[in-house]
Amino acid sequence: MEYYLGIAQTIGIHALLGWSAYVLLLTGQLSLAQVGFFAIGAYVSAILTTMFGFHIVPALMVGALLGGFFAMLVGFPALRVKGLMLVVATIAFTQFVSLFFFNVHWRRDVDGVMAGPDSTQGFREIRFYAANGWDTLDVTLFIWLFVLLVMSGLWWLDRSRAGTVLRAVGADDLAAQSSGINLTVAKVTAMTAGGVIAGLAGGLYAHSATYVDHLTFSVLLATFAIAYPIIGGIHSVLGTLAAVIFIQGILIEGLRFLGDWRNILFGLLIILIMNLKPNGIMDARTMRTIKRMFAGGKSADAK
Amino acid sequence: MRRSRLSISLLAGAAVVIGTLVVAKSAIASERVVHLAGWGAKSGPLRSFGVNSEAVLKAAIKSVNDAGGIKMGDGAMAKISLDYYDSACNAEQGIAVARKVASETGALVGMGPTCSGVAAAMFGIFQKKVGDAGDSGLQFPILTDTAVRNGLAKISQWTFRNTPNEPDMYDKLFAWLRKTHPDAKTMYGGTETDQGHSKGTYAKVILQAAKRHGFTWVGDGIPELGTKIAVGWKEALDKSSNWLLADTNFSVQARAFKRAKADMLVVSAHPFTTCGMLKELKRQRIKPKILVGLTSSSSDETLKGCAKQAEGMIIPTSFAPINDTAMMVAKLAQKEGGSADLHSAAAWENIIIIKQVIEEQGIMGKPETLKTDREKMRAGLANLETTAGLLGQVKRVQEEGEALKPFVFVQAMAGEWKVVHDPR
Amino acid sequence: MDDIVFYTVEITQSIIDGVLFGSTYSLIGIGFTLIFGAMHKLNMTYAAASLAGAYIGLVFFTLFDAPAMLVFLAAIVGSAGIGLIVYYICFRYIPVENHLAALMASVGALFFIDEIVIHATNASPLTFPALFDDVMLELGPFGIRGDLLFVFAVSLISMAALWYLLYRTRLGLATRAVSQQGIAAQLCGIDVHRTNGATFVVAGMLGGVAGSMIGASVGILSPLLTLPITIKGLIVTVIGGLGSIPGAIVAGFLVGALENIFLFVRGVNERDMYIMLLLFVFLVFRPHGIFSRRAERD
Repeated sequence: MEYYLGIAQTIGIHALLGWSAYVLLLTGQLSLAQVGFFAIGAYVSAILTTMFGFHIVPALMVGALLGGFFAMLVGFPALRVKGLMLVVATIAFTQFVSLFFFNVHWRRDVDGVMAGPDSTQGFREIRFYAANGWDTLDVTLFIWLFVLLVMSGLWWLDRSRAGTVLRAVGADDLAAQSSGINLTVAKVTAMTAGGVIAGLAGGLYAHSATYVDHLTFSVLLATFAIAYPIIGGIHSVLGTLAAVIFIQGILIEGLRFLGDWRNILFGLLIILIMNLKPNGIMDARTMRTIKRMFAGGKSADAK
Repeated sequence: MRRSRLSISLLAGAAVVIGTLVVAKSAIASERVVHLAGWGAKSGPLRSFGVNSEAVLKAAIKSVNDAGGIKMGDGAMAKISLDYYDSACNAEQGIAVARKVASETGALVGMGPTCSGVAAAMFGIFQKKVGDAGDSGLQFPILTDTAVRNGLAKISQWTFRNTPNEPDMYDKLFAWLRKTHPDAKTMYGGTETDQGHSKGTYAKVILQAAKRHGFTWVGDGIPELGTKIAVGWKEALDKSSNWLLADTNFSVQARAFKRAKADMLVVSAHPFTTCGMLKELKRQRIKPKILVGLTSSSSDETLKGCAKQAEGMIIPTSFAPINDTAMMVAKLAQKEGGSADLHSAAAWENIIIIKQVIEEQGIMGKPETLKTDREKMRAGLANLETTAGLLGQVKRVQEEGEALKPFVFVQAMAGEWKVVHDPR
Repeated sequence: MDDIVFYTVEITQSIIDGVLFGSTYSLIGIGFTLIFGAMHKLNMTYAAASLAGAYIGLVFFTLFDAPAMLVFLAAIVGSAGIGLIVYYICFRYIPVENHLAALMASVGALFFIDEIVIHATNASPLTFPALFDDVMLELGPFGIRGDLLFVFAVSLISMAALWYLLYRTRLGLATRAVSQQGIAAQLCGIDVHRTNGATFVVAGMLGGVAGSMIGASVGILSPLLTLPITIKGLIVTVIGGLGSIPGAIVAGFLVGALENIFLFVRGVNERDMYIMLLLFVFLVFRPHGIFSRRAERD
């Protein structure tokens, strides 16, 4: 059971990371900066619990808020840069954050052990869960509490005017501006929200993995973050979750029995999925089919 | 009529297949098997470590099985079966595999991972102190062969390592170099600063050991550099000419090396940038009296990358084919598709250690005794004072779960690593 | 006084080395910018495909002890072939307006190509042949590496060949037409798919040159190179202006030189941070790059 609960934890954390990129993708911004905010949330919350004895909930909140704060700072200059140039600029930002943490040496004596981030030696023994008797099931439920919170928040967003505004900006920002939408407010809000979610995900990651170093927060992880909403499709919030389950659950863990072939197939299956479903796994057509399946079942029962 | 005939034949076929599987499974089940699990990087730029580790494990297990297997607690002989997983040098995958092996398989012990960063993360999810009921960490013994970063095994009492102890190796190396090169006084060097092992060993172990044996930094020296581990490491890094683990252009660093005009140069890096740096040193016609490298670069990879330019580099290593067993291990590893070096050769020793512990602790290896077997394995590993190593007896550092391994000094000569001094 | 001379010599030497090495960055940047200019899409595979081509060249070196020029030629052909395959599996069949799907497919191809190389070589670094490896031209206090000069020359020749292809041949005309106005080009009878495929092949050939020149100048090939070269190539493309070939050329030299200067002045730990700051500065003051193409409203 431990193994499957662990996978569920990974899926939850990556879903949050994916949603932080999803929110930005709605406004048409392809951002690889989410891992930078993820890193900030990870280090800040881990420092608070490991070095200063905070409980994990306030530590996560502070990590998330700081993630959002720095995201807001990035959001303003990001307005000037569009399309693929934003991709490169955000790659550079993530590298910058990673290099920043590479230069951080800060350790405190906690109960006789030196704890804290130590550049390339890494930030070890972030053991809040195990030290407080939280077993794997407790942690999984804890993580999924946040997952459901964020998912319902984004679901509600899609049914509100705010969601329509974001998607309008994403579809055609000139037309949106002409309709009176304030582009700055929309885009920076999206970036900030993405930063908060990413910061939260980072904090959860640090405590599940018990260890972080600057190499964890790489451009590769940032690519995964943006892959989830693209492969899942931005039509629905569930798309990102479906993509995370597909990549982490099926491609990475599920295909272990293939041995060496697993890694070669990984890239090929992504290419295949993008050719078969260019608008994502849960694109408009698939959602309609699913809705019809449930509706059809209901009407059949009603007979 | 046709449809029912089709379905009958399909059912019959399925029955035959299932029946064969059941018979085969019970045939296997009647043979006693000890399950072991290993994992390491089989994908990504660090694939060579996983390949080598797995190859040596397979070779060692085959050798034990061919000699009859392991004697279990009830006197029966059991063969070893190995499952090797890919943790891809990724912390989440390493943790997932550890959980999978501990909770879904009957493995008695896990051997891995190969990447130090993964080990640091993975060891953290284990129960810290045995018997601590308030600690919900994993309870499963680990014996690591490759991940060599300083101070990891002490993270948990369930985790053990059989990896070389670099402070001792470099201390003896510089003592010997001092004797054989009495005229060499000054030193200079560089490392890949974004790689934990390279940087840590360079700045906290190598330079201090060199100072201890009379080598001084060029020019005004580094006054803060002490003879004890880690003293003056920040200043030492500032004065060195460094690079990053994937760098391609070493001209600025090499020119600094040239300006230093040092008798001894230290290049503390893994094979890729070691080769890059050595090629640049050759181009700039820099030929020091002594050239010292990082333990991890005493492997085949360095020779594949730059055999010509590595000529003359001296490295301490805990594995070299200098006796019959070591030569046999090297050959058998090649047969399994990998190579035995100071990282992977420990895997051979680990299989012997595991066999020893199983026989000493009377481990039964039956599905119903799994929990007690694992506890006995951990206790057995913790109790070991010495273990049999390929180059001689290995002392265990019991409080930390680490090892003190015998070593030799090798030098790259004519495309091979030849032993130049045997301090054992 | 001595100090000033010393620093001037060192900085100039750093610039010389950086510019010569930066010609390889220019080639990678040109590859990204060519495909972006033609199809308005980013081919994330490009650097990996170029290095994979170099590995293909290496096969000839290890198995048949082929001379360096043959290795380079094999790399060019190999990269071109990989480029064509990448076109077909990542760009040909995905709807033209869907940039994200093509991008993600090319990311998948990047993972795939990288893993194939890793599995084939067990990720070991492999020595790569170089020409004029031991030649060092001494000009007073400065030393110019012979092999880097060769790399520089080859890069310049390739850029000239590319210019000739784009502005003096029918294929080049078709490529430029398709990139400016796809539909109008079709109406003139140009087969858009064939032209785009040919663009990928040409970019691939350039990539083969880049990959083998990178291999020759470093002296070793390793899968560790893939991601850093991809990122540097993208930075060069953006600083030069997406779609501008002269921009990519200048940006490559600029990044190469500045990289070495930052390294000399501030050390390796901060070097890359300054490159990122350079990028940000360009994005703030010249968001369309050094030689920008007029921004179109797509």
